[in-house]
Amino acid sequence: MIRSPFTLALLGLALGACTPADPQQRVSAALADGVLLPAYSSWAEADRQLAASGQAFCGGTQELGEARQVFLAAQSAWAGLQPLLLGPLAEGNRAWQVQFWPDKKNLVARQVEGLLRNKPQLTPADLDKSSVVVQGLTAYEYLLFDPAIDLDDAAQKARYCPLLVAIGQHQQALAADVLGQWQAEDGMAAQLKVFPNQRYAEAPEAVAELLRTQVSALDGLKKKLGTPLGRQSKGQPQPYQAEAWRSNASLASLAAGLASAERIWHGAELDGMQALLGSQHDDLKQRLDGAYSDTRQRLAALQRPLGELLADEAGRQELNALYDSLGSLHRLHEGELAKTLGIQLGFNAHDGD
Amino acid sequence: MNRRAFLGLTGAALAGGAFAGWTLLANGPQALLLSARDDAAGRHYAVGYRLDGSRLFATRVDERCHDVVAHPYLPMALFVGRRPSTQSYLIDTRDGRLLQTLESPAQRHFYGHAVFHKGGEWLYATENDTSDPGRGVLGVYRLDGERLQRTAELSSHGIGPHQLLWLPDGETLVVANGGIRTEADSRVEMNLEAMDSSLVLLRRDGRLLSQERLPQRQNSVRHLALADDGTLVSGQQYMGDPHDDAPLLAIKRPGQAFQPFPLGEAQRLAMNQYCASLAIHSELRLLALTAPRGNRFFVWDLDTAEVRLDVPLPDCAGVGAVAEGFVVSTGVGRCRHYDCRGARIQSQPLQLPAGLWDNHLRLA
Repeated sequence: MIRSPFTLALLGLALGACTPADPQQRVSAALADGVLLPAYSSWAEADRQLAASGQAFCGGTQELGEARQVFLAAQSAWAGLQPLLLGPLAEGNRAWQVQFWPDKKNLVARQVEGLLRNKPQLTPADLDKSSVVVQGLTAYEYLLFDPAIDLDDAAQKARYCPLLVAIGQHQQALAADVLGQWQAEDGMAAQLKVFPNQRYAEAPEAVAELLRTQVSALDGLKKKLGTPLGRQSKGQPQPYQAEAWRSNASLASLAAGLASAERIWHGAELDGMQALLGSQHDDLKQRLDGAYSDTRQRLAALQRPLGELLADEAGRQELNALYDSLGSLHRLHEGELAKTLGIQLGFNAHDGD
Repeated sequence: MNRRAFLGLTGAALAGGAFAGWTLLANGPQALLLSARDDAAGRHYAVGYRLDGSRLFATRVDERCHDVVAHPYLPMALFVGRRPSTQSYLIDTRDGRLLQTLESPAQRHFYGHAVFHKGGEWLYATENDTSDPGRGVLGVYRLDGERLQRTAELSSHGIGPHQLLWLPDGETLVVANGGIRTEADSRVEMNLEAMDSSLVLLRRDGRLLSQERLPQRQNSVRHLALADDGTLVSGQQYMGDPHDDAPLLAIKRPGQAFQPFPLGEAQRLAMNQYCASLAIHSELRLLALTAPRGNRFFVWDLDTAEVRLDVPLPDCAGVGAVAEGFVVSTGVGRCRHYDCRGARIQSQPLQLPAGLWDNHLRLA
């Protein structure tokens, strides 16, 4: 412990006095306004509709088919946030409240049934105190899509509706809270625009976190495809370990995540990460553009749901090719792009040191 | 200077591209920050910086280091090899001169931590006996001039020892036996289903005084911090299910049992089952922790367990106490200074190089 007072050299104590001429600050601010805020706003709106849909369906004024469509929109909005998952939603366990994946032991089904046995008259307050496993979209999807549940049956509908309504409200409140933290005066969006602040000492820290989040999401997309493909289980396909398998929304979720990752790269108006590469890096730019295009086209070309593709050799070949394409895309970011931008993605291994 | 003029000047300074901060009045010698660090090309260094950003030394070393142990009164420090390294480096902290490359003996490697005895003559390092992988030993080294010589070995009374410290008497060692077996040249865990982690107190002659365990077998006790009054805190990494509720901080107050530190649920969840470095500020009675998997830095009141600070800090690494509070490094961004004297903790970035700082820092 040092007892004597010491000289402390501080970085510029700028209170909002950064120059917009700084390219890193420009990119961070452009992504905050052009990509991240709009995506968080869309998610909050999708969850507002989800809560309304849950109530309407349970009140008998909405059909099951329509309720399912509203769920799919919320799932897609959430999936699109993966490459943008920094700040409030990435912290304090909030993301787990939105989705429980991977669910290797089918905890969602077991915990939903257990919860409703213990609390047949479940209230939203009960749900807020429950496990994250039953608070999110995965449990909502289980209620609307699981083959063991028949919501056309009045008794079953009465049994599951309190939970459906509560999850919708929980998601709406969570999304509104997170969006509020983005929009607040000194909130997350401001912290990506004006430096230094409580979170970032300088713009390069913000850009680095944006890239880290994007790279980790690309790795996450690989896992979301690789897990059901059996890449982690000796090639044995695991269809029930896919994200959103009950609603056949696995591939749509992948596409939403990929599209957001690409928006971080391009920006809303070509003012994303790519704007940090000078003309001497045109070759890298073109390869990144090409890699996004390749992955996007392979994904768009899949004509069947993931579960069906996993079931035959031709389908698995297409998925493996998509996986490899995602791998190349991920490697380009993790390797060349990070190096060219001078960004340290991670350093300490977090494995026991 | 009025506020507008101040803002204008700062803006101009930043526009100039320099990190042209301003310096508080100097009224005493500055702390020397010692740490292991890499450069962007992946080369390893033992570095010493003043907190104003001036570099005393950056000495290239062959292997990556982990903790740094300063000699109690001589201007030298041992930069301890990060597991499974077989080298540590004795450095002159005035100019960075490499005094000795300390090699572990055959079938031993360092675990990244060591301590000098207060007398300055003896050093103890946690090591792995790779002939019986994971069997924990303390290498005992004697300082002879500018060289450390291994003279003996003690049992750590456990598997996979990591950090060790002295109790305030300066004669009793406390060792965090992480409980995880690893082999030579490897960081891969071999015994996740049969881990045995413990907190051990032993005399300098190796005599075991106590051995205490936390309830969950897969909760690995790894890092330690001590207050002047003997209050000891440990930081864990939990190797079981990510959703399990495991005490990631534990405390042993003088004369009391080793037990979970009362950690808020929000903080526990934010840590992602992983604690890195701990530091205690004895005067302010504060406990600081870096939680790099959760990318968060925390400060608690050591006595009431009240959360004083809970902030994002990506890949936060080393933490050490200074007069005003704490200094924290990170693997990916700027180092921070936290002034903890007031009701509200104030943070400022430091003018040290950004990123690539290893998990521990020491202030000498």
